[in-house]
Amino acid sequence: MAIVKMTEFSLFAFDSEKENLLHELQKFEYVHFLDLEQDEDLTEMGLRSVKVPENLVAVDEDISRVNAGIDILSKYHHKESGLKAMRTGLSNYTFEELEEKASEIDYMPIYQNVRELWRKREGFKGEKDKSRLTIEELKPWKTLDIPISYLENLQEAVLYIGTIPVNLQEMLVENLSGYENTHYEVVGEDKDNAYIVAISYGDEAENVKENLRNASFAKVVLKGENKPSEEIEILEEKIKLLDDEIEVMDKALEEATINLSDLEITYEYLNNKKLRIAAAENFLVTDQVNVIKGFVPTERKDEFEEKLKATLGNIYYLQTNDARKEDRNTPILLDNSGFVKPFESLTEMYALPRYDEIDPTPLLAPFYLIFFGMMAADVGYGVIMLLGTFLVLKYFNLKEKTKAFIKFFYYLSFSVLIWGFLYGSIFGGIIPLKGVFEPATDYNTLLILSIIFGFIQIYYGLALKAYIAIRDKKYKDALYDVGFWYIALTGAIVYLLNMVIDLPEIAKTISFYVMIGGMVGIVVTGGREATGAVGKVGGGLYSLYGITGYVGDFVSYSRLMALGLAGGFIAGAVNMMAGMVADKGPIGFVAAIVIFIFGQTFNLGLSFLGAYVHSIRLIFVEFFSKFYEGGGQKFKDFRSKPKYINLR
Amino acid sequence: MGATEFMVSLTQADGGVFFAALGASVAVFLSGMGSALGIGIVGQAAAGLVIEEPEKFGRSLVLQLLPGTQGLYGFVIGLLVLGRLNVGMGALEGLYILAACLPIGFVGWISGIAQGKAAAAGISILARNEEQSTKGIIYAVMVETYALLAFVVSLILLNAVSF
Repeated sequence: MAIVKMTEFSLFAFDSEKENLLHELQKFEYVHFLDLEQDEDLTEMGLRSVKVPENLVAVDEDISRVNAGIDILSKYHHKESGLKAMRTGLSNYTFEELEEKASEIDYMPIYQNVRELWRKREGFKGEKDKSRLTIEELKPWKTLDIPISYLENLQEAVLYIGTIPVNLQEMLVENLSGYENTHYEVVGEDKDNAYIVAISYGDEAENVKENLRNASFAKVVLKGENKPSEEIEILEEKIKLLDDEIEVMDKALEEATINLSDLEITYEYLNNKKLRIAAAENFLVTDQVNVIKGFVPTERKDEFEEKLKATLGNIYYLQTNDARKEDRNTPILLDNSGFVKPFESLTEMYALPRYDEIDPTPLLAPFYLIFFGMMAADVGYGVIMLLGTFLVLKYFNLKEKTKAFIKFFYYLSFSVLIWGFLYGSIFGGIIPLKGVFEPATDYNTLLILSIIFGFIQIYYGLALKAYIAIRDKKYKDALYDVGFWYIALTGAIVYLLNMVIDLPEIAKTISFYVMIGGMVGIVVTGGREATGAVGKVGGGLYSLYGITGYVGDFVSYSRLMALGLAGGFIAGAVNMMAGMVADKGPIGFVAAIVIFIFGQTFNLGLSFLGAYVHSIRLIFVEFFSKFYEGGGQKFKDFRSKPKYINLR
Repeated sequence: MGATEFMVSLTQADGGVFFAALGASVAVFLSGMGSALGIGIVGQAAAGLVIEEPEKFGRSLVLQLLPGTQGLYGFVIGLLVLGRLNVGMGALEGLYILAACLPIGFVGWISGIAQGKAAAAGISILARNEEQSTKGIIYAVMVETYALLAFVVSLILLNAVSF
């Protein structure tokens, strides 16, 4: 369906042409290289692999420098406010434009300037922090009226300067008061500590020290020369000067942000260059020749060959052939048109198809659309989602991926709207609307409808399995693995229906035997791959046991009705709460509006989240398990993923 | 008094409003407990993540919300019971309503916690490989299937029999 056909190529080209060739191929974009290191046929022939291509280290260094510059400058860059920024979005470049622009930029002076400014700024800031810390340390000693240098130069006396816990202060004061040649002062006090200065002379010094130690004395070293209060003033003066310096640097850096976009362009350019150089790791080489293997989309094969001819002249050897179906290395590129395209993210989330499988995206999209709407069903929510996504798509310049995501919800909103009308629900019934179903009473109808959707999807999944088997000419598998299941399931369903509604007796009998027939078929063929009679019977019975899984599958679809109902009821409950306060004067009315808006917004988010993931579950678990395995590799085009620009 | 006589006496007694109210309470408080515990578990895990990477707050909030639905299902069932309450309700009807509330009450309670644990593990996917974090959401949602089934059964039981 929509897996892009691939052409495998082997290219032999001279090493001297390598750089030029890779450059041209990067312009071409749609090339996926195979890593040849594991290719034993070639390595045994004496071809070597390239470990770390030269220049790679240099480019890496360039990139890390540019990155550092961007990191610094983006701190100073005044970003436009959210909405406006989204409107402008990222600038668009083609690859050629990017290269041309990048060639005009010499990033080194920009980087050096920014780094130097930043280094200075950080230096000033470090000094400022240090001064702050010193001030904090000195603050408690502010009332100490002696220059600090004085304290250090005592000859005969011993000085003790430090803190003790507040609760021990009384004891210490009592103990010290007995000494004659000792002077002490409690300079200050805060929540935890008392700040003590004691000066002692002669024999007493040791005793005083002992007393202090008993009071958990912790010594403090004061920094500076002058009196603490003067010292603080000096430091504060210094901080002011430093602040000025920092401001100057900040200004300069802010001015330098005009170069930010240049650095960003360079960043993108260098990353592409790096990719180009690193691509050589995939190749094998002899002394002069590079062996390159990879894939190009078949529709671009001619373009690819022309490109090679133009670049290499006639001195190359190229061999191409259609990619083999069973080759696990064939990369997968999905190509779906308009409506289906946004649903590719779901396929990718599960696993890309293998090259011999089918692309399930167009198959799952209609189901997903219906399921999502049924679970979120509300006209009000649908309108909000439709308007929101429509405006974003119309007025905002978005990245490719974001755009697809918004488009996804844009399509889904129609389904939400339609189901909202079917359920007759506008914001959980704030405006009366006659729907086709009345969820509160018709839940049985909805439950049956949900199971019918499940029935359709599961039968469809089985049909796809049969289609794949028939396409691969495995007709027996189609009969054994799908045909018998159809027979058994259909028989069982009709037979069970007998219990609910009255069918003619004959229908009951026929359906019973049809079911038994199908089951016998499953038991007989289910174990055909096992060896030995016991294995075959066991395998067959085990296959039949799989019918319990189908019961679970069908029941699982009841979530379609349950989530729709729960969302409706919660919205109704919000309206009820708002209604309770609405008629209680103007304050009540305002409160009602607040409750309504908050409650409905909350429920809207919850409904959409629930619908999003539960639809995914039904697709992944119930649908995919019938026919889809996945496990293909993604086609990696020869471009680096841009971060700051849109690259077309 | 034999069992039959007891049942007969129940059909005649009134005061079922007590049992019905008990049913509403059970539906709301058990499932609410489960959701509260579940959201708490995820919240703890998410708080650790946001320290380092505050920009992932939005996505972590989605994961944290997931175990919250059980409480809402219980709340809806509780509201539906509320709509049926009346003072003269028969005892049998009251007991029936109580029974109908049990599935969402108990399943909501346990699955809320279990989903919380699964979603907390999803937070670590978000921490290490953001692109794959939707898969963490899906794992957590698998748990919710059973809360949904319980909700459906409670809902059907509530509406299936009229007295």
